[in-house]
Amino acid sequence: MQTIETQAQPDNATSLLKPKVIEGKDTTYRIVSRNVSEYQFIVPFNLPDEERVEVGQIFSINDQGLTYLARVLNIEHSSNYDGHWDTTMKGTQFFDSDQIFNRVVAEPLGCINKNLEFKKSRTLPTKFSPVSRAEREEFKFLSQVMGDIEVGYLRNGSRLVEEIPVALHSDAIDHHMGVFATTGMGKSNFMKVFAASCMRLAAQGDSKFGLLIVDPHGEYLKGKRNSQVKGLVHLTRYREGLACYSTDRSNATDPGVEELTISESEIFPEDIALLYEWSAPQRDALDAISRIFDPNSWLDEIKTPDGMARMMQEGFKDSTVNVLVRRIKNELGRNSYIKKRSSLANILANLQKGKVVLVDIPRMSDRSELFLLSVISRYILDEYKKDEKEGEESRKNCLITIEEAQRVLGAASNTSRFESIAREGRKFGVGLCAITQQPKLIEKQLLSQFNTLVVMGLGDRNDRQQLEESAKQDLTSMDTEIQTLEKGEAVVSTLNIPFPVPARIHRYEDYLHRLNLEDPPERLIKKGGFKPFLE
Amino acid sequence: MEDRGRLSIIAELIRDHISLDGLDQFLCQTGVEKNDFVVIQPSDFSGEIFAIDGSNAAICSYLTANVNLIRAGYAVYRKRDWQRTVITFDDLFLADPKLSGTNFDPYLEHFFGLNAINLKESDLDRLSSYYREMQEYVAINDALNRSHPGDIILYDGSFEVFEPLRDVLATIFSRASEKEVALLAVAKSSSLSWGMAITLPFVQHTSMAASQLLPGEAWYLSLKGKKVDAGQGKWGGQTYVVRFCGESEHAFRVDVPEYLGDDMGQILGKLTDHSCSAECLGYPHALFRAHRDIRITEQEGAAARERLIAGLSELGMAHKEIRMLMQDYHDILEMRTRF
Ligand SMILES: Nc1ncnc2c1ncn2[C@@H]1O[C@H](COP(=O)(O)OP(=O)(O)O)[C@@H](O)[C@H]1O
Ligand SMILES: [Mg+2]
Repeated sequence: MQTIETQAQPDNATSLLKPKVIEGKDTTYRIVSRNVSEYQFIVPFNLPDEERVEVGQIFSINDQGLTYLARVLNIEHSSNYDGHWDTTMKGTQFFDSDQIFNRVVAEPLGCINKNLEFKKSRTLPTKFSPVSRAEREEFKFLSQVMGDIEVGYLRNGSRLVEEIPVALHSDAIDHHMGVFATTGMGKSNFMKVFAASCMRLAAQGDSKFGLLIVDPHGEYLKGKRNSQVKGLVHLTRYREGLACYSTDRSNATDPGVEELTISESEIFPEDIALLYEWSAPQRDALDAISRIFDPNSWLDEIKTPDGMARMMQEGFKDSTVNVLVRRIKNELGRNSYIKKRSSLANILANLQKGKVVLVDIPRMSDRSELFLLSVISRYILDEYKKDEKEGEESRKNCLITIEEAQRVLGAASNTSRFESIAREGRKFGVGLCAITQQPKLIEKQLLSQFNTLVVMGLGDRNDRQQLEESAKQDLTSMDTEIQTLEKGEAVVSTLNIPFPVPARIHRYEDYLHRLNLEDPPERLIKKGGFKPFLE
Repeated sequence: MEDRGRLSIIAELIRDHISLDGLDQFLCQTGVEKNDFVVIQPSDFSGEIFAIDGSNAAICSYLTANVNLIRAGYAVYRKRDWQRTVITFDDLFLADPKLSGTNFDPYLEHFFGLNAINLKESDLDRLSSYYREMQEYVAINDALNRSHPGDIILYDGSFEVFEPLRDVLATIFSRASEKEVALLAVAKSSSLSWGMAITLPFVQHTSMAASQLLPGEAWYLSLKGKKVDAGQGKWGGQTYVVRFCGESEHAFRVDVPEYLGDDMGQILGKLTDHSCSAECLGYPHALFRAHRDIRITEQEGAAARERLIAGLSELGMAHKEIRMLMQDYHDILEMRTRF
C-alpha cells in the first residue's frame, strides 16, 4: 500500500500542479482501430474537394520500417460524441468541429518491408500510426509484380498513377480469363487494348500465346466507320503480330486480310446442332450421323438419296430425316465461306506462332456465329491435343475469346463444346477468354477456374455476387467499388499480382497512338522487315 | 407487485410536483413577479471563457478506506471555438480520514495559504468529494492565473459548499474580483424549492412560468427577497435562475460572488451566443466540453483498477488476498466480477 500513499502525498510544492494541456493538434490521418482484417482511421469531415477520400483509394501507413497498404472500403460520418446529437442542430451552426470527423474503413492489402518486398500482413499497424495517401514510391513494388501485357494504368480512387502500368501476365493466360461489364462500360475497348499488347509481344517475338478473336460485330478490324473508334489494323507499328480473316468480301480484299473459309469436312454434326432448335427424334438422328457415315464426307453423303435411305434404315422417320437434310442444305447454301479449301490450318499456324488472329464475321446471325466458333475451336482443341501427344514443343499456347459467353457457358446452355475447352483445354494449352455482361448466367464452377478477372462496372447485384462467390481472389470487399466503377475503370484480379488491382484501362485510340510512336524493335529491322501475310 | 392504490397516490403527487397549474399560485407564494425576469441582451464577446469541471470514479474500497480516480481541469473557448483543455489533476486518491492531513494540507497551504482543515470525522465518500472539489478549486485558481480581465470563468456546480472548504472559495472570490474576471457557478441540478404542503421544484417552475410570461427570451431572475427554500446561503454571493438562450426550455441555477452583483446582465449577454450549440442547446458550451474532456469513463476506471491490482501483485500480494480485501460484497450479490 505504500506506493499509493506516496503517490497520493505530494512531497514538495512544485509537484502539486503539473497541468497537462491538450491543444488542437492533428488527430486526423491516424490509425485508430481496429484489427488485422480491418483498419480504421479518421480524416477531417470538411476536406476540400480535391482532398476528399474516396472508396477504392489506397492509403499507406508508415510504421517504423514497414509500410502497410490499405484500400478504402467505406467512409462514415463519425464523432467523439456518440449518439445522434447532430439531429438537434436547430440551425445554430455551433458545434465542436474538432470532435467531428469522417471515419475511413479500409481493407489491408499487405505490407512492404525495407527491401521493397510485398507480403500479406499477419499483424496490424501500431495504434495512431500516421496514414497518408499512397504515392508513386509506395506503388513501386507493384511494378515488380506486373506482367507483360499492358492494359492500363494503376488507379487510386479516381486518380491515375501513370507511373505504374497495370499489365497482365502471359503465364497466367493459358488458364482462363474473364472480362465482365455492363454494356457500354468498355469490354470491347479492353479487348482491343489487350489484343494490341499481344500484337506488340508477337511482333517482338516475345509472345507466349496466340489470341483468337471471333468478332460478329465487325468492330475490331477497322473500328467503326465514320467515327474516332479505331481497329486493330490501325496498329501499324505491330501489324505483323496480327493475322486477319474475314467473311466480308470488301474487308477480305484489303491487303493483309484473308478471306475466311472452312471446308465441309471440318463440320461435325454437333456444329449443325447449334444452329437450330431440335426435337428429340431430330436430335437422336443428329447424334446417329457419326455412327452411320464417314466423318469426313457425311455432309455430302447424307444429302444423297442413298444417304437418306441409310438414315431411314436406322429407324429414323422420313420426316425427321427430311428436316435434317433440308436444314443442312440451307446452311451450306447460305454460308458462302464453306468451301472446299479451308483457312483453319493457317489460323492454327498463326496462333501457334503466338499471333493475334482476328476472325471478322460482320452481320452474321447469333447462331451462325456460334456454329463457326464451334467449328474453329474444336479444330484448334483437336490439333492442340494431337500436338500434345506428339510433343510439339515450339508451339505457343492459345486463348480463344468468346463474346457474350453466357450463351455458351451458361448453366442452361447445351453447348458442351466450350465447356469441354473450359474443363480440359488447359491441359493442352488452350484457354478461354469469356466476355460477358451477365456473369450471373455463367456456371459457378466454371467461373472458379478463371485465373484472371477483369471486372468493370457491373450494376446488377447478382452479377457481382456471382463473381465474388467464385473468384479466386477475394472480391467481396470491393463490391461498392465495382458498383461505382466508371466507363473504362476496372478491377483486375490475377494470380501473380497479390491483390485485386484498381486500374483505368487505356482508351484504345490513345494507346494505339502511343504504340505507333514507339521505336521499332531492333530485331525486326535487322531481319529487313516482316511480311507476315505472305508467308 | 406494488399496491395499485399507492401507485396512483404517488403518480398524483408527482403530477402535482411537476405540473404548474396556473401561474398565480407560483407567483403569489414565491413573491416572483413578471418584472423580476430581466431579459438578457446578447453582446459580442471575444475574451476567453473557461469552464471548470471534475470527475471522480471509485476504483476499489476495503471498507475502511477507498481508492478513487480523480480528475479536474478546464476547457477554454473563445467565442464558439475551442482553444484548449487543461487537466490540472489526474490521479488516484486514497480516502482515509487519518491520512486527510497529508492529502489535503499541502494543496490548501500552497494554493490558498490556508491552514490544516479537520476532516477526521468525515465519511469516506464525503472525503473523496471534498478532495475532488478541492482539486476543482485548484483548477479555478489555475484558470484565474491564466485569465485576463474581462474573461469569464464558469464552474460546474454551486458555490453552496461544505463548511470546511468555504475559506478556499473566499480566497478565490477575492482573487477573481481583483483580476476583474467573472466567476459563475452553473448547476445542472438544484434542490431549490418552494411550496407549503409539498416540496416543489423552484428552478423548473420558474422556467415554466417564464416560458409563458416571456416566451422565446433569454432572462435571469435574482432570488434576493424571494420565498425560496435555498440552502444555508452563507457562501457570500447571489443566486440566480438563468435561461442562457431563448431557443431553449431549460433554466439553471447560477451562483455568483457578491462583487459581480451589478454586472449580471452584461456578463450573461456575453454568454448567450456561447450557449446555443447543437450539442447542448441552452447550456454554456464550454461546460459541456469540460464535462466531456474531463469525465472518467468506465473503461478508464477499469484500467486504473487493473493497474492497481498489477501493482499489488508485484508487491507480492496473492490474487486471493487482493480479492478478499477488496471485493465489495455488493458485487457478490449483484454477481459482478471486478477482480
Ligand atoms: N478505357 C476507356 N477509356 C475511355 N473511353 C472508353 C474506355 N473504355 C470504353 N470507352 C468508351 O466507352 C464506349 C463503350 O465502350 P465499349 O468498349 O464499346 O463497351 P462494351 O463493349 O462494354 O459495350 C466507347 O465509346 C468507348 O470509346
Ligand atoms: Mg462490346
